[in-house]
Amino acid sequence: MTNKYYEFFCPVKVIAGKAALEHIPYELSGVGARRPMIVTDKGVRAAGLLEPVIAACEESGLEIVTIYDDVPPDSSTTVVRDIAGIYRQEKCDSIIAIGGGSAIDTGKAVNILVSEGGEDIAKYSGAGVIKHPLKPFFVVPTTAGTGSEVTSVAVITDEAKGVKLPFTSSFLLPNAAIIDPRMTLTLPPHITAATAMDALTHATEAFTCMAKNPLSDAYATAAIKKISQSLLKVMDNPKDVDGRLELAQASTMAGIAFSNSMVGLVHALGHATGAICHLPHGLCMSLYLPYVLDYNLETIREPLGELLLYLEGPEVYAATPASRRAETTISAIRKLRDALHKRCQLPRTLKETGKVTEVQMDQIAEMALDDGSIMFNPKEVTLEDARAVLRRAWA
Amino acid sequence: MLAKRIQPMAFHARRLYVGLMFQVMGRALQAVSEVDEQVQNEARVLPDGFLFEMMVMPDGSKLIVEHTGQGRFRYHGDSAPRPVDLSIQFKHIAHAFLVLSFQEKTSVAFASDRMLVDGDISYAVRMTRILNRLESFILPKLIAQRAVKEYPADLHLPEKLISAARIYLKVATNFVETARP
Repeated sequence: MTNKYYEFFCPVKVIAGKAALEHIPYELSGVGARRPMIVTDKGVRAAGLLEPVIAACEESGLEIVTIYDDVPPDSSTTVVRDIAGIYRQEKCDSIIAIGGGSAIDTGKAVNILVSEGGEDIAKYSGAGVIKHPLKPFFVVPTTAGTGSEVTSVAVITDEAKGVKLPFTSSFLLPNAAIIDPRMTLTLPPHITAATAMDALTHATEAFTCMAKNPLSDAYATAAIKKISQSLLKVMDNPKDVDGRLELAQASTMAGIAFSNSMVGLVHALGHATGAICHLPHGLCMSLYLPYVLDYNLETIREPLGELLLYLEGPEVYAATPASRRAETTISAIRKLRDALHKRCQLPRTLKETGKVTEVQMDQIAEMALDDGSIMFNPKEVTLEDARAVLRRAWA
Repeated sequence: MLAKRIQPMAFHARRLYVGLMFQVMGRALQAVSEVDEQVQNEARVLPDGFLFEMMVMPDGSKLIVEHTGQGRFRYHGDSAPRPVDLSIQFKHIAHAFLVLSFQEKTSVAFASDRMLVDGDISYAVRMTRILNRLESFILPKLIAQRAVKEYPADLHLPEKLISAARIYLKVATNFVETARP
């Protein structure tokens, strides 16, 4: 018997498909919530994405008590405290977070504060600090990439101390994630591409890193198949509702996979690059993915080779000798990146971003080495290894 | 019947082994921080007075070391002078035994949720690198390969033997000194 052991947990109800938003009132009433608050950002509101949610609730006689639409891209402890104040003042009893990673993380943090009490979210920072279920919480993602709707983590910036506070607890998970293709229909091409590559990276790292397990593998491979079949179709036809739904579902599935299997060096480098060069997370994922897979190749040859089936389909998989499948998988990812670059100039190298200098690469390497994700990378990474990957990703 | 009578003894032996290994590792962490420049460079980033704990939940064996500055550690036994800054916790003594008897790599135990990190994750990553470096020094290569994710390619036999001898000597001295009444 091997020592192999794993844990898998995802209690989030997924409500996905046509008219999914119209299920929100029923879901709220199912947990006895009658006074929901919406937490979102100005971009979501300006894109008109709140209207179908509000209309769906009003039609069922459920009033949205208040809307906070000023969540910044990097949410802070002050924002969380302010929103919690409004929640209490308006006597709300539930939260609906509508948006991308920042709005969802803010919703999670506000839920901690309004459920546990107090004004200072920082004191709940860390793993396992929260011991009780929180208020009813629903998430409507408006990007198809982060997977935040099914992860038990939130990151909030403490502006005063200049640090990012992580919050980890299964109680942060929403009661339900509502995946409606209407919410991603108007995403601009470069965000569609970057967020889908974020989801592809979540699934690929979940499938190849140290904490991989059979249940996460099933979600990861299904997510990769959906992305490879739908991403370019959606890029060519942004109003493709079915394709949008496929990408949104893939993002959630990849989120379920990586929240149970974790991620590796791509994320470690991406987090560092985002912090130092202020590049969007999805872009960093797309950029580093093939270079890191090259670096990990000999450690992950077998699982990486398996992914060829989901990326390129059974014909290519069958026609490729088993010994070459891992390399062909990396080539397929490079080919996808080239296609995205052609369609929306999504950068493939650090140089192409125009926002990274060669001098910053040492800083990125050093910061990446202290990132938690690196613990799950299948191959040990030294400072020199990280530098070498960055040099290859330069141009 | 025999198995039932032996089981409590086996559990007791396992507890003793884990406790002893924590004592050795705590002292060895102090020793390696006095011997190895790479460990000192890693540890130097930790705040002075930083307390690191490795323990078995809920209240089992533990080791506590303090970063006293300049990349040096001091072993505090199993009691901390103040609340610890970083705690790596095995969920059960069985899991600690798997790792400390080198049947399972530390990185694998962490990836499989057999242990938890309470504290700054970047410091946990750093401490893991230090523990890996320590294990690479003090364990025979065949056993170290079972304990660490990747045995360092640049660690050659003469350096390993000299460093290991110095670490073991310091550990033994520390045992003798702390055993005095």
